[in-house]
Parts: sequence; structure tokens; C-alpha cells
Amino acid sequence: MTSIAVTGGKGGTGKSLVATSLATLLSKNIDDLVLVDADLEGPNDHVILGIEELENREPITLFLPMIDTTKCTRCGVCVKICDTGALFMAGKAYPIVFPRLCSGCKACYYACPYGAIRGAGHILGYTYVTPVCFGGRCFKLVTGMLIEGEEHTPPGVYRTLQRALELKPELLIVDTGAGTGNAVSMGFRDSDLVIVVTEPTPLGAHDLDSILEVTDAMNKQVWLVVNKYGIGDITILETVLRRHRVEKIFHIPYDKAVVEAYAYSKPLIIHYPSSPASRALMKISDELMGWIKH
Amino acid sequence: MIEISIASGKGGVGKSLLAAHLALLLSGKRRLVAVDADAEAPNMNIVLGIKDWDRVIEHYEGRRAFVLDDECTGCGECLKACQFGAIRVVDGKYVVDRWLCEGCYTCSFVCPVKAVRFERDVLAGWIRIKEKTRWGFPLVSAEIVPGRPNSGKLVTEARNKGREIFREAEIMFLDSAAGIGCQVIASLAGSHAAILVAEPTRASISDLKRIIRLTQHFRIPSMIVINKYDLNMQLYRELKKIANENKLYYLGEIPYDEEVPRSYVSMKPLIEYSPDSKATIALRRIAERLDNILSRFDEWRLEYLPEAYKPFEPIVIRPDKTLG
Repeated sequence: MTSIAVTGGKGGTGKSLVATSLATLLSKNIDDLVLVDADLEGPNDHVILGIEELENREPITLFLPMIDTTKCTRCGVCVKICDTGALFMAGKAYPIVFPRLCSGCKACYYACPYGAIRGAGHILGYTYVTPVCFGGRCFKLVTGMLIEGEEHTPPGVYRTLQRALELKPELLIVDTGAGTGNAVSMGFRDSDLVIVVTEPTPLGAHDLDSILEVTDAMNKQVWLVVNKYGIGDITILETVLRRHRVEKIFHIPYDKAVVEAYAYSKPLIIHYPSSPASRALMKISDELMGWIKH
Repeated sequence: MIEISIASGKGGVGKSLLAAHLALLLSGKRRLVAVDADAEAPNMNIVLGIKDWDRVIEHYEGRRAFVLDDECTGCGECLKACQFGAIRVVDGKYVVDRWLCEGCYTCSFVCPVKAVRFERDVLAGWIRIKEKTRWGFPLVSAEIVPGRPNSGKLVTEARNKGREIFREAEIMFLDSAAGIGCQVIASLAGSHAAILVAEPTRASISDLKRIIRLTQHFRIPSMIVINKYDLNMQLYRELKKIANENKLYYLGEIPYDEEVPRSYVSMKPLIEYSPDSKATIALRRIAERLDNILSRFDEWRLEYLPEAYKPFEPIVIRPDKTLG
């Protein structure tokens, strides 16, 4: 299996546009392709692909402690060990569990000297597997979605990636969320190639610097895509790029067709194949195909 | 102090642009403090053109596990127990992934030979402070060590710092992160109002609906600003309808304006870089309208408080054998 991740740091740089386009283009040559929407807080790949209904829903269940009062001695060890404040003890009463705060790390379960913690569950969100077909060529979209109000994204990203791996794809494309924290770095931790999408503004440059710091430390092979090329100023990225290892650089021109495609949920490369942005994406896809074969 | 979060769900729709300009446009009239609450991609200082800080506080917290190779017997119990996939086998050795470990202790409890140890007080990130920007208000900015966990905790820390350095402030603006996760909750929960930013795209609409559910859970009265509104009139109308249905106060709209990215490159706020541009005029109008609301905030708040209180109810599953 080959695994590619698309990330970027800053939000709105075009990660999902790149990921969905590459999945659509590469599925012409690769039979078992899985695209993972690992942006659990704002999954949009299906929106861009024009998919109305996600399919094959499965809950992401995290461990949740439940106190067995027949065994609990109210020693307070579980409360002490909990990092997220999900366990609370008022005086000498039995501990209370706050499911929303629990990250499901299970430390309390192992810490309890009396075996008084039983495993219950807490649904963090859902994963979906939806077949996507264009012109007879198909791939599978795995979407992770956090329930609004839940806040532990990283374990959800982990479970979403696991569901995608169960499908045993030949090529895995992971679309990460915005940001530079571990909910994002988890998405490209096991990738063979990281495609970083940025925009030529100081905001893009700052967040690019942060994300490349992580890819450098992880020793990742990195390709850079400068989206919205034409706005801002490309030289701004140069100082950042001098500090990091980037193997290839591509440009996607600022293109009204992208906005149009976005607005109507019509995949760009299907509905606007000759637009400048589509042509740029096709070039990236061609290079990727060469890289995969290698 | 009235604390107002600027949030959007989707990234790149203009949160930092709006937050920075509301702070600098209102700073002449009101005592305020700005907090960049996007610790994973802090950009507010860039929009304002601030390059240097008065104070940088290193923030240490938590811990990180590591395995002592000499004592490890390779039983693999830690790998099975870790709920975050942070333990892996590299060249036949069990290794804790420094990016993914949240320091929860689970692996050390299951290790039969106590070969898992902890590095304590790991650098989590930085809180940067500008005591007085050119416009008079202080700016506090949080940034995590890239790739690491717990950005939400750092946001809470920055927010507390903001309260502490300017106790007399009337208003705090919090520029939230993209998404709906721990960072966003750290800034939204406890805010007196939220300003939601959206653009006329399907993706933004989808994420807006998610953030609205969050403001309803926390019962935060909210306003909406539509950025780049003229990109698509049909979706613009759809956004206005969503605003109406969800009782969001319509604070205004900003047209698409290429002066905005140019102002970023110039490292000057838009209203100084291009004082007559379409977007500047729109931002001024929005700031004025917000100023009016702030003058009668309690009244406004009561009017726009989400009616049906829908506190968040986590979905809990009763204990069963499969869950351990």
C-alpha cells in the first residue's frame, strides 16, 4: 500500500480541493483507492464531491469509565490520574464521570487498584464509507465526523484511519484538517509522501513553516502545492522554503472556476476540466502516478 | 468584561481579518483586549502587522512516555493498550511516538516490567504578549509546539492571560481556530457572544451549521458576517436564510476584494493599506454596528439568546464485555 497525505496548516488553502481532485484523477489508474476525510471537525470532501448522503455509518466509540460502587473504596486514584478532568469526587462521595471531558485514554481503568472501573462507551462521532464514481471509475471515501460538542479529535482521527486501512487499499489519500496539532500530524504520521497545500500570503507562510517543522522532524518526503497562485506574493514563501526540505513545488493558479465548482458542489476536474486550476491538478496527478510506479 | 469569540467552523473564511479589524476599529472608543485563540495557526498578529512581542512565556505541561529498551521484554501489552496509536514497533523495538503521546499513563500501567518512563514538563507552546499595540489595545497570542497535543489548554491559558493583563477591559475579542474541537470549545464556552463568519460556498455552509449547533449547546447569542458575499448570490441568500432561521443577528457582509491578500503581503492592516477599498468600507460598517450592540449589550443578548436550551448530551453506552 502507498499512502499520501494532504495537509497545510492554515485553513482554506485548498487541501480538500487537492485531495478530492487527486483521488478522482488517480482512480482512473488505481483500482483500490481510498480517500480519507480526516478533518473530523469540518469534513467537506463529500460536499466538494457533490455527495448527498454518506453511507455505511459506524460509531466511533471511546472507552468511558463507569464506577462499580460495589467495589469502589473511594480512594481517589482514578480522579488523580485523569488528565482531562472527566472524573470528579466531591468529598468522600463516589467519583462522578463527565463523559464530554473523557478522552477515553483508559488510564483510570488500569490505575484502579480494586478493579472498580467497568468499561462503558462514549460515542465521539461516526465514520462512513461511501463509494464515489465518476465516468465508471470508482474509489471509496472514508469520512470521519465528530459530533458537535465533542472535543477529543485525535482519537477520532485514529479510528477513522483504522477504518480506512481495514479496506486494504492499494493507494490511501488522507485529507487532514486545518491546524498543526496532533489531530493533523496523526493524519500524515504514516504517509509515504506529504503534499502540503499553502497560499502565497504571510498567513499561509507562517502556518507552512509550522507544518514543515513537523514533516522535517518526521523525515517525510514533501511536495508543496502553492494554491491561489497569483494573489499575494510568491516570494513570501521563499524564506520559509529555504529552512525546510521540500522535494517538488507545484502551482495552482487563482481560478474563478474553483469558486464556481465549490459553490455548486460540482467537482472541478469533472465539470471544468480545461480550467487552468484543473490542468495544474492534472499535472500533479501525472507526477504522482510516476512516483507511485517507482 | 464582554468576551466575544469569532468562529466559523471552516478555515480560511476570514476570522482573523475580521477579529483584527474589529479590535483596531473599536480600540479608539472602547477598552479592549485581543486574544489569538488559534494556537495551531495563529495569524492575528500577521493581519495586524505585528512582528515583535514584549513578552514570550514558555508553557510547560504534561508528560510524554518513553520505553527503556534495556528493560523492555517486547511483550507488546503497551501497544495493545494505547488508545491513541502512539506506540509502534521500529526495528524490533517498542517506541512511543513523540507526536502522538498524550501522556496518559495507560502504557505504564499495563507494562509488566515497568519499562515505560515519563519525561515531565514537556514544552507545550508559547504565550506571546504585546502589551500595547500601535492602536493601544494589548494582544495575547497562543501557539503550540507544532505537531503536539493539547492546543485547547493553551487557548485557555492565553485567555486567562488576556483577562489578567487588562482587568479594566470592557471587551475581549477571541479569534478562534477552525473546526469545532477542543480549541474552539475552549474559546466559545464562557463567551458572552459569538460572531460567526461564513462565505457563500457549500463547504462553509456545512461547517457553519456545525458551529451553530455548538453555540446552541453553550447557549451563546450569535451574530453572523458573510465574507466574500458576492462570490455567489444564490448561496449568499441561503446563508441569510440560515441566519434567520437560527436567530443569528446579521452583522453585515464583506465583498470579495483582492486588496485583502495584498494587505497581508504588505504586513499592514487592510484599513491602513487600502483605506478606500470595498472591504475596508464594509469592515467599518460592521464595526459600527457592533459598537451599537455593545452599547446595549444586555438588551441585545436577551433578544438573541438561543431560545431552546439544548445542552450537549454525550451519547453513552452501558458497560459491556467488549469494551474492557
